[in-house]
Amino acid sequence: MAEEFNTEGMLDMYLFENEQLLEQLQDRVLEQKDAECFDEDSINEIFRTMHTIKGSSGIMMFDNITAVSHKLEDVFYYLRESHPENVPHLDLVEHVLEVADFISNEMDKIRNGSPVDGDSSDIIKRLDGFLNMLKNGIAQGGAEQPPENVHEEPTQFYIAPVATSASRFYKIYLTFFPETEMANVHAYKTVYALKEIAEDLLYSPDDIIADEGSAELILKEGFRILLQAQCSEQEIRDIIGVGYDIKNVDIFECKAEEFLQGFDFGDQDTQIDLESSVEEIESKVQETAEEAGEKEVKEPAKPQIAPGDFVIKSKEPGKHKTLAKDKNKVEKASFISVNVSKMDQLMELIGELVISESVVLQSPDLKVPGLNLNNFNKAAAQMSKISTDLQNVIMSMRMVSLANTFQKMNRIVFDVSRKLGKDIEFEMLGEQTEVDKNIIEHISDPLMHMVRNAVDHGIETNEERAQSGKTEKGRVILSARTEAGKVWISVEDNGRGLDREKILAKARKQGLLDDNKPDSSYSDKDVYQFITLPGFSTNEQVTEYSGRGVGMDVVVQSIQSIGGALDIESQTGFGTVMSLKIPLTLAIINGIVMETGNSSFVMETSVIKEFVSVRENMMIREPNGDEYVMIRGECFPVRRLGKWYGMSAYKESVEDGMMLILEVEDKKICLFVDKLIGEQEIVVKPIPSYIKKVKGLSGCTQLGDGSIALILDPAGLLE
Amino acid sequence: MSETSELKKGTEESQPASNERDAQKGKYMTFKSGSEYYGLKIQYVKEIIQFQTITVIPETEDYIKGLINLRGKVIPVIDVRLRFKQAPIEYDDRTCIMVINVKSTTVGLIVEKIAEVVEIKEENILPPPSIGRIDKAQNKYVYGIGKVGDSVKLLLDPDKLLNDEDLSAGEQDDDTEEDE
Repeated sequence: MAEEFNTEGMLDMYLFENEQLLEQLQDRVLEQKDAECFDEDSINEIFRTMHTIKGSSGIMMFDNITAVSHKLEDVFYYLRESHPENVPHLDLVEHVLEVADFISNEMDKIRNGSPVDGDSSDIIKRLDGFLNMLKNGIAQGGAEQPPENVHEEPTQFYIAPVATSASRFYKIYLTFFPETEMANVHAYKTVYALKEIAEDLLYSPDDIIADEGSAELILKEGFRILLQAQCSEQEIRDIIGVGYDIKNVDIFECKAEEFLQGFDFGDQDTQIDLESSVEEIESKVQETAEEAGEKEVKEPAKPQIAPGDFVIKSKEPGKHKTLAKDKNKVEKASFISVNVSKMDQLMELIGELVISESVVLQSPDLKVPGLNLNNFNKAAAQMSKISTDLQNVIMSMRMVSLANTFQKMNRIVFDVSRKLGKDIEFEMLGEQTEVDKNIIEHISDPLMHMVRNAVDHGIETNEERAQSGKTEKGRVILSARTEAGKVWISVEDNGRGLDREKILAKARKQGLLDDNKPDSSYSDKDVYQFITLPGFSTNEQVTEYSGRGVGMDVVVQSIQSIGGALDIESQTGFGTVMSLKIPLTLAIINGIVMETGNSSFVMETSVIKEFVSVRENMMIREPNGDEYVMIRGECFPVRRLGKWYGMSAYKESVEDGMMLILEVEDKKICLFVDKLIGEQEIVVKPIPSYIKKVKGLSGCTQLGDGSIALILDPAGLLE
Repeated sequence: MSETSELKKGTEESQPASNERDAQKGKYMTFKSGSEYYGLKIQYVKEIIQFQTITVIPETEDYIKGLINLRGKVIPVIDVRLRFKQAPIEYDDRTCIMVINVKSTTVGLIVEKIAEVVEIKEENILPPPSIGRIDKAQNKYVYGIGKVGDSVKLLLDPDKLLNDEDLSAGEQDDDTEEDE
């Protein structure tokens, strides 16, 4: 039993850590998805991440995860060590994401206790293929076939070629005929050929494949190779061969030191030979010290390490490889993860403290005349200040930035647009906006739907865009901002927009419209609301991502459940903006306290538009009991809270009570209550689960005097 | 209401129980509801508080009186008399709220009068006698009858007290079957 518990703890840790790693991994990959290739930092980071996951999965004996991460690690090992040129970057990104998906999928299985049985062989096969393709060297613009003779691949267990006493060092100087085309490619061929026999190999200019300009340079200056190998000069000559394009081959044997110095010593990059080989090379240096060498190569150039090399060096000068990593470490050290339930508990306690504070400070005992309360008041003021600070701190602790949620959307846009073959730019604005943790959990799924919709329905295909004369790229903007105590999150696309006619036609077909009303009597807003109904999709084709008519209704539901609303704006042909309006926090809201019957109720301040005292003659009553009130020429339906809840002892006459005009989901209704108490910040608590859900109630709270008030859910009042 | 009256077998006096405080085992908190005394295993009882203002929740079962604030914790309270379908009575200063915790649900029980803590030995607990169908008894919230001296306490299963939908079973069956 104890043992089981132990592994469980380990498993939690394993899942937690790897989840974080994968998240970071995805962020990093997506950040650079539009770049030409990964920078040095990222390659190292991904390599490390995969290594860590591989290690921990190995310990936990999740073999398939181990295998997949090992394979990806291999790929990145190769990238890191060999710096192959022309890596198909998007493919690589997809491979990484694929692996990340596979692993998180497996981790979900682990979490649910189902067997970890994902089949990794497909992915591994693909990765193998990819790695092979990389190793075979991808020729520039397809101008060259991958050379036949592939150098022995460096694997993770790659052992550096050992320089033995038989090793000899050569400087090779190639010159090409001036009319040779693509001299760089020819040079590259030579390099590949030499790798067969090379123990170590450097050449200059180094970026012969990526840089087309190198061809000229090679023609002008020649092509230099430093070679360490156990063969004679003649053998090298045979390998290189003198074809019609190579004008001359000069081969000089040189000393080991010269070899180690490379072509240039001025602005040379960090270059660390693996220790063992350095020693061996150095020992070799002694032996070969007397050997004759060739004089220095004049041209300064950066040495390039060829595939198969054991040399680790930073790719570009000025890039501090350790910087990002260091920063990361600092960040990690300054964060601790805390169980949310503990935070909730703390929050609860602080709420409690605030209430008991007001109980103490308003204690009737203090009202006794003749008391000298000077000191008490001072102390009380101090305490109030502290408790307010405390409240602010705990609130800010619960606030989480939207950045993570937005990053996930980035991923979705990437996947969907790639699959659909749409060219889409994705932009995020205001992702640092902070929202209560509980709310984030609720908006992630709705956002996903919305983003998917934007990419799938919103943005046209590339051809359609071209036809309609749109020149700019498809674009999805995800933005967040805080306004008036609410957070607005919008998904904006510059696609085709909603088709009012199509929606109306569909709505009519489904019998959602009043047959007697013409289409024109529906406002755009009304029309767009139809797409949030279950089973309503105007997309003729059901795609993998959308079109089944589920989605928008789910979005609306989950947004409403946290007191938010969905707003749709659209212009046919120009795009759609869908905005979520959500409360900053669920835990503390500003509310108006009121009384009906003998009960106190609280209504969120932001939905209340007005308080009105009405006279009896403003009321309109239908025979069936429905009531309306006419205020300034506008007619509002009336809901009497006391009557609606079937309470006792509520005020009958509208002149004795108070009307509240509420704006809920674009509808205005009047709520009739007995009297208003006042506005205050209230700490929202759930109604104990023992009590079944009651219509129109979303929670309860404690008032200053310790009594309990029920929180009204404005949307619930519409039922 | 019918259930309890049928169950009456002994006198209403309660015998003082021993004051041993070493173990909770075998101890029951007894209270009066209607004309009967009921017992609840003491480990369920968290505390007994004075009656306090209850915030009514509309549209709930009538025996759920509402919510109270127990030092910051909002807990529902139910009226035991109404739960037993006895006629409601006015609450007075003897009315107490017994806070019980069953399977991590905290609920306050409004009881007419708290009696005392008694110890009832295992051998003094009888299964509720039943006339007729015995299987009916399985689901009832009175799981036993404890003898304390001359009196009896009806021992309650708090889980069923709180959660059984069908305390109205008595309406389907004859009152005579109620004493299980």
